[in-house]
Amino acid sequence: MQISTNQFYATSSTLMSQLSAQADTLQTQISTGKKLQDPSDDPVAYQQLQLLTRQTADDTTYQANISTAQSLLSQSDSTLSSVVSQIQRAQELAVQANSDTVSDDQRQAIATELRSIVGTLAGLANATNAQGKPLFGGSQGTAPVTQNADGSVTINATGSATSIPVGQSQTVVAGDSASDVFGGIDNGSGTSDLFSILNSFADAMEAGGDSPTSAAADAGDALANALTHVSDVQASVGAREKRLTLMSSTMTDTAATRETQRSSLEDTDITQAVTDLQKTMTILQATQASFTKLSSLSLFDYLK
Amino acid sequence: MSDILNIGASGVRAYQSAISTVSDNIANSGVEGYSKRSTVLAEVSSAGGTTSRQNVTSASGVIATGVARAGDAFREANVRTATSDLGASDSAVQWLDQIQTALTGNQLPDQLTGFFNAANAVAADPSASAARTTMLDGAQSVADAFSATGQALDTVATNLDATAQDSVTTFNGLAAALAKINDGLSRNVSGTTGSAQLLDQRDQLLEQMSAIATVSVTTDDVGRATVRVGNASGSVVVQNNTAGSLSYARGSDGAVSYAVHFGGDISSAAIGGGALAGIADGAQRLADAQSRLGQVAASFVDGVNTVQAAGADLDGNAGQPMFAIGDTPTDISVALSSGRGIAAAAPGAGALDNSNLLSLGALRTSGDYEGQVTQLVTDSASALSARQQVADAQAAIQDNAIADRDSVSGVSLDNEAVDLLKFQQAYSASSRVIQAARDIFQSILDIR
Repeated sequence: MQISTNQFYATSSTLMSQLSAQADTLQTQISTGKKLQDPSDDPVAYQQLQLLTRQTADDTTYQANISTAQSLLSQSDSTLSSVVSQIQRAQELAVQANSDTVSDDQRQAIATELRSIVGTLAGLANATNAQGKPLFGGSQGTAPVTQNADGSVTINATGSATSIPVGQSQTVVAGDSASDVFGGIDNGSGTSDLFSILNSFADAMEAGGDSPTSAAADAGDALANALTHVSDVQASVGAREKRLTLMSSTMTDTAATRETQRSSLEDTDITQAVTDLQKTMTILQATQASFTKLSSLSLFDYLK
Repeated sequence: MSDILNIGASGVRAYQSAISTVSDNIANSGVEGYSKRSTVLAEVSSAGGTTSRQNVTSASGVIATGVARAGDAFREANVRTATSDLGASDSAVQWLDQIQTALTGNQLPDQLTGFFNAANAVAADPSASAARTTMLDGAQSVADAFSATGQALDTVATNLDATAQDSVTTFNGLAAALAKINDGLSRNVSGTTGSAQLLDQRDQLLEQMSAIATVSVTTDDVGRATVRVGNASGSVVVQNNTAGSLSYARGSDGAVSYAVHFGGDISSAAIGGGALAGIADGAQRLADAQSRLGQVAASFVDGVNTVQAAGADLDGNAGQPMFAIGDTPTDISVALSSGRGIAAAAPGAGALDNSNLLSLGALRTSGDYEGQVTQLVTDSASALSARQQVADAQAAIQDNAIADRDSVSGVSLDNEAVDLLKFQQAYSASSRVIQAARDIFQSILDIR
């Protein structure tokens, strides 16, 4: 078989361009750090990578939502602590009032302090979060409670607070409505709210008369129930905060695993790639050298 | 005596033309499609043409009877088949690559993810206008990505049509040129340099035609080619000095069809290989991608707008459609003008409610738009990857077929050098014969 001159040049040129293309691919893989440039390089890996990218993007939002929920819950938590200390102060007043030796003046003073506690609690109930929205607003954006001219307090906020998405089909209710926190206190025969308990206690103290001690005893029982109720709410807030912390740390772990997966699918193995490039370059150089030698061989050189 | 002179002269003439053929080979060694030629030399039989006599003592020299062309019809046919196969794969790779670029260029799955995540951020704080604005921007990005991807596919379709039209025009030009070559061949004497040139051109034209569409070729005794499109039972497109033409059409469903027009007859053509087959393959993939993308877009818009309609916006009004669809399913625009219009809440639930946005999250899971777009890209990428591998194999097959053909018909300069030397020496020797004849004759004249 003869090798035609044309064919010799064409073959050499094809071989050298193939080697150059191979070197170029490796060079791109090394400089970009990615071994996959197009989906067609590895369709299966592309699909997996898309899923990983999506999960990473989702988790970024979920992490931000967890932070928002955590901040809302911790604001609720500290506000509820203040509510608890106000109830405890009212309990002290109830104990103090539950004595025959308390004078009418002292009862008046107790009533005044109770009215101020109601005011403080109404203020706490209307506390706003970092975004300027009511903490205990439920699903409404309006003021959770209104204190009327006669000192009584109306609870407006109802409904469930915003349930924030914090994971794939997982939500956390990042707050409680005022009716849940201050209302719904079990009084044996039904429910009442904290404001009416305190206001009727103050009314009884102001009225004086025959049975202030028994009113104080009743108020003491009702306040104990209120304390239990609010503490339950606070415990539930704490439990939700704890769940979020756990979710957040799980998410961080998952992200690390995902990163390992992504890297194994997509990243260039630099050692391997550099070795391959070196090999390709060596072969290319050898091909160029042998081509130069072979192409300079011609019988015409010897015909004189 | 004159015999010797004539023999010497015939040698000089014959080897002169042999050297000229060798020179021609050397000069054309770099020319594409040139087949090696050789001068056919034959002994001239003695006067009277009868060699049956017992005592033939003298011959009458040598004659160059013609020029032989080192062509091999079977090897040529192999090259054509390999070229058609490679042409189909190469062209399919080119179009699938363009489709892949069109599908991935606008990061559609990422934009969809961004939109749904922006909705989750709004769900965390439904009354915040910043989050709502971000979500509306996300909606705009999704609309843009759908429109841009749809337009990119449309551009590929336009390019595909233009390329197919160009290829068909080129093919028809080649067919017309081949008919002229056929005409030339019928008027040329075979075994001449002229006919060898025409045959070289014929084979080159056929090879170029086979890169565009599979052709089935038969030749008659003077070398005229009859060309059929597709296999041996395909429609005739070139016969003797008449050339037909090929036409291209793409239906509304995106499917490509070709037809052969010959002498007033029109018949549909089954293109087995060549660039036109790759174009048909690409067109089918393209139509599939367009229809699937359109379905995803329509279902996405419908789903989001349905969720919007089921909720209430920040002002407590019933949710208005978020997206509007234009002329094509992917021609999407954002209909809401303000983030306040995003229907995050259930009707009557209040400004801090986000239950309707949670339905959007459910829609994301049930609709799996991101997954569908990714699947579309993956399907296209798998097809591309498979064809790339086939194309690599076919390139090797074509290289082999060409090497095989050139081993017979290609010019090797070393071989030509040997021939040149050989004929040069024979020429010198023949001229010595003339000199010898003259010397002998002179010696007779010198007798006194």
